[in-house]
Amino acid sequence: MKTGNQYRESLRKLNPQVYLMGEKIASVVDHPAFVPHINAAALTYDMAWAPEFEALLTTKSHLTGEKINRYTHIHQSHDDLIAKVKMLRALGQQVGSCFQRCVGHDGMNAVYSVTYDIDQKKGTQYHKRFLDFLKRVQKDDLMISGAMTDPKGDRSLSPSKQKDPDSYVHVIEKRKDGIVVNGAKAHITGGINSHGHLVMPTIGMKAEDADYAVCFYVPVDAPGVIHVFGRQTNDDRKCSCTMDQGNPEYGIVGGEALVVLEKVFVPWEHVFMCGEYEFAGDLVERFATAHRQNYGGCKTGVSDALVGATLLLAESQGSEKAAHVREKLVEMVHLGETLYACSIACSCQGYAMPAGNFMADPLLANVTKLNVTRNVYEISRLAHDIAGGVLATTPSEADLRSPCVGKYVSKYLKGVDTVPAETRIKLVRLLEGMTCGTALVEALHGAGSPQAQRIMIGRQANLERKKRLAQKLAKIGDQPKLVC
Amino acid sequence: MHRVAVKYCGSCNPQVDLSRLGAELAGMATELGAAIVPLEQGDIDLVVILCGCPRACGNKSEVKARARRFVLVAGHCLDGKPVSEEKLVLSLRQHCLTFIDAAKDT
Repeated sequence: MKTGNQYRESLRKLNPQVYLMGEKIASVVDHPAFVPHINAAALTYDMAWAPEFEALLTTKSHLTGEKINRYTHIHQSHDDLIAKVKMLRALGQQVGSCFQRCVGHDGMNAVYSVTYDIDQKKGTQYHKRFLDFLKRVQKDDLMISGAMTDPKGDRSLSPSKQKDPDSYVHVIEKRKDGIVVNGAKAHITGGINSHGHLVMPTIGMKAEDADYAVCFYVPVDAPGVIHVFGRQTNDDRKCSCTMDQGNPEYGIVGGEALVVLEKVFVPWEHVFMCGEYEFAGDLVERFATAHRQNYGGCKTGVSDALVGATLLLAESQGSEKAAHVREKLVEMVHLGETLYACSIACSCQGYAMPAGNFMADPLLANVTKLNVTRNVYEISRLAHDIAGGVLATTPSEADLRSPCVGKYVSKYLKGVDTVPAETRIKLVRLLEGMTCGTALVEALHGAGSPQAQRIMIGRQANLERKKRLAQKLAKIGDQPKLVC
Repeated sequence: MHRVAVKYCGSCNPQVDLSRLGAELAGMATELGAAIVPLEQGDIDLVVILCGCPRACGNKSEVKARARRFVLVAGHCLDGKPVSEEKLVLSLRQHCLTFIDAAKDT
């Protein structure tokens, strides 16, 4: 297993093409725009070495028997599914933001099961190829990004009907030694600080889309892979100040990139699906299930820190004993624990796939994420309510330090006498970063937009059985007899 | 020198400060006539299982099997008896001392 610094050093050995604000970045590890995201990801490595967290961050590989970081593990039991959620809560508490490594982890679990299914039906060798890849991931403790979302172009058209064929990643050439692909993947969390990308299809497909039914691994610095880092709320602050960042060590959100694949060659050993369109939908659904399972872990962990920040801010303002403040704090906890309950429930109700790995219950995983899309906004709204307007108007760190006006900022931003203004300002900034802007959008759309969850819930709802239950109670039609 | 191992639950959302408990235990080891060793080393006299809540995820048979005796902290509970966090360190010390003394007598 790597430590956080070994992870950083391993990134330094790579040479990805990364662009930010129109400039090509020479060193991802050292650029202030990326340092917080790398710190967050690095903690997934460092916490594996901390005795307090070892039981959650590490496990034994079912392939080799070696001790591995849980982020490289394929879930083998209900205990594994539950441990994943608890791991995410622990990380969320320590980071207060997204730590990015989950997408690739969930992608690997989905690809593990789908490659097995493809091989069973088609006699292909994808699963063995994937196992060889996975062993290397485990041995070298790699961080793999999960690259699923295509730009999609005109959403009313299928991939093969798009005016721009690159709206979805597709195969443009097949060779003896591999394939060449074109296209891009959007919103790729941790893309610029991963060792490579696990590229997966984003929707179910038909026969005419066969060239788009492709899944493969590509190193982050493979020729033709270009990353354009996305802007985030207040991202300039990462390069210009410390305190005003709010969470200067770990940032406010994962750090997403547009990953362009410009005639990228992928050797066959790294191709895990190529044309088996009938399995694309399964891959998407299993990835989505695995990823939606998470959010009651990570977002609840982040909410734990947010509740703490909100209470500290209330204490700095002398409002913590007000009944409405206590009620709102309780509601924030209630909403956060509801999400955790959902993640634990879908994990407990998980089951084994034909490949032998365990997956969370899809219906409950989608319920988890759909609740996240509401609860995180409400938790944030309550935090804003308690914090007050100071959240939107606090002077800058530079003004606090200014020889001209610093004394006024220190005097008038102070609440209770025992808490310095600087402390109050730090809390305001932490709250601001955690609840205003990009972090909220990530909670809404990460792991799929709300409508995607509703579609899955609708499919899994078993409405016909629910009708029969009602008919039985209302004594409509034939009454099935219960066997006593 | 008695060999004592510490096993944490995983600390997903601890109700008590497990890191502080672990540090206090390490601090009092010499006074107790003990050395804190990794559980994997074997020949453990006492394993202190530190769990952050009553779920006690660290309370596993394979963990207890690696030591002659065990002490279980599960949130505000020490070996099944409620203990406030303020008194947890002292109570843990007493428990460890009792086990170590008992080990001397056998």
